[in-house]
Amino acid sequence: MEFELFSAAFLSALFAIILIDLVLAGDNALIIGLVARNLPKDTQGKVIFWGTFGAIAIRAAMAILVVYILAVPGFMLGGGLALVWIARKLLMPDPDAAISHLAKAPAATFAGAVRTIVIADAIMGVDNVLAIGGAAHGSVLLIVLGLAISVPIIVWGSQLVIKLVDRYPSVILLGGAVLAWTAYSMIVREPLLAAWFEAHTATKLVIAILIFSISLGPWYSERLAERMKPLVVLLPALLVWMLAFEVAASVWKVQVDYLLARDHGEYLLESLRWLGWLPPAVLFLWAREQLVQRIRRIARG
Amino acid sequence: MLLIHRSSRAANAVRTVSPGGELFVASVVICMILASFGDAIDPAWIGEAGLEVALFDLGGEFSVLAMRHWHLLQLLLAGTILAAGITVLRVCSNAFYKALRPAPTGGVEKVPIKL
Repeated sequence: MEFELFSAAFLSALFAIILIDLVLAGDNALIIGLVARNLPKDTQGKVIFWGTFGAIAIRAAMAILVVYILAVPGFMLGGGLALVWIARKLLMPDPDAAISHLAKAPAATFAGAVRTIVIADAIMGVDNVLAIGGAAHGSVLLIVLGLAISVPIIVWGSQLVIKLVDRYPSVILLGGAVLAWTAYSMIVREPLLAAWFEAHTATKLVIAILIFSISLGPWYSERLAERMKPLVVLLPALLVWMLAFEVAASVWKVQVDYLLARDHGEYLLESLRWLGWLPPAVLFLWAREQLVQRIRRIARG
Repeated sequence: MLLIHRSSRAANAVRTVSPGGELFVASVVICMILASFGDAIDPAWIGEAGLEVALFDLGGEFSVLAMRHWHLLQLLLAGTILAAGITVLRVCSNAFYKALRPAPTGGVEKVPIKL
């Protein structure tokens, strides 16, 4: 998909790429510092330059590759599902964020240091390039522009980014929401599912709410009272249950619409669809209550 | 390790976010869900129900149906306006209910005027 330059679609995609780049950026400066700390002073400057250059080059190559990979049927759906998990992970509270295990050992040689920096960046950047590949809607120009703007900010202005997110943590929440929105647009753009979505347009709303309820789960879970916490599991589970019946109706060609049901079997299926989730939900609530009480008993004595 | 996790406030954003920031992001998420709602409705169904005139002529570009074409920046702008609207409504309703609240029965000053 090619965008008209400086149109609302172009600027929106560029903004999404920059925001995703910032919130999912790996800590390159820290890794470079850790890897190069035992090298001689004159080699450190070269390691910083070539490590940064290699990290940017590998990131750009991976992002462009992802655009072509996402064009393969099935990968858009897989990428969208992966983004839901990435958004959820981003919002998970992390009280003691650990230093990356990728760069704990300092390098002894120049080549070894550059290699470690580039490999660490490539591994840390997989989620990042997947997200920007999805947000770019197949435009290589957007990816290159997004990287050209955000990578220098991350590499040379990392303190600025840290100050920004420290002052406004809502940037992280917005990043999570944009990732969820990108995941939704990737899933509904999946070529294998295009015909199915055409025939079941209402399921797009169910999928959107499902994606947002899973991705933003850690956020609203923090705000819910203890007795309401099971909703974090029950709401997505209920949506998956409803969606499963729609999928089953298409795959096995069964009638799940109450108004179009003709025989007892179809009415039974319809009852199962609307009421069948109740027993598993009650069982889940009971098991959860038992578990909570058991944990309390163990804590007491 | 993510760059943003160098800040403990950012690493625990769901706990440390300000009420204003939270309202803004929640409004953007509502706009995103409304846009997907517009995407999920078949316009032909609106025509069958006879709501075409009401929705397209009166609502125009601002109806939920039109939101399906909105891009991220438009959704962010709509979220900002929604958050600002909710804040204004909250301030006004608080002022209104504050005026209606009776003075404490045991209070010396029945009319709470402070100079």
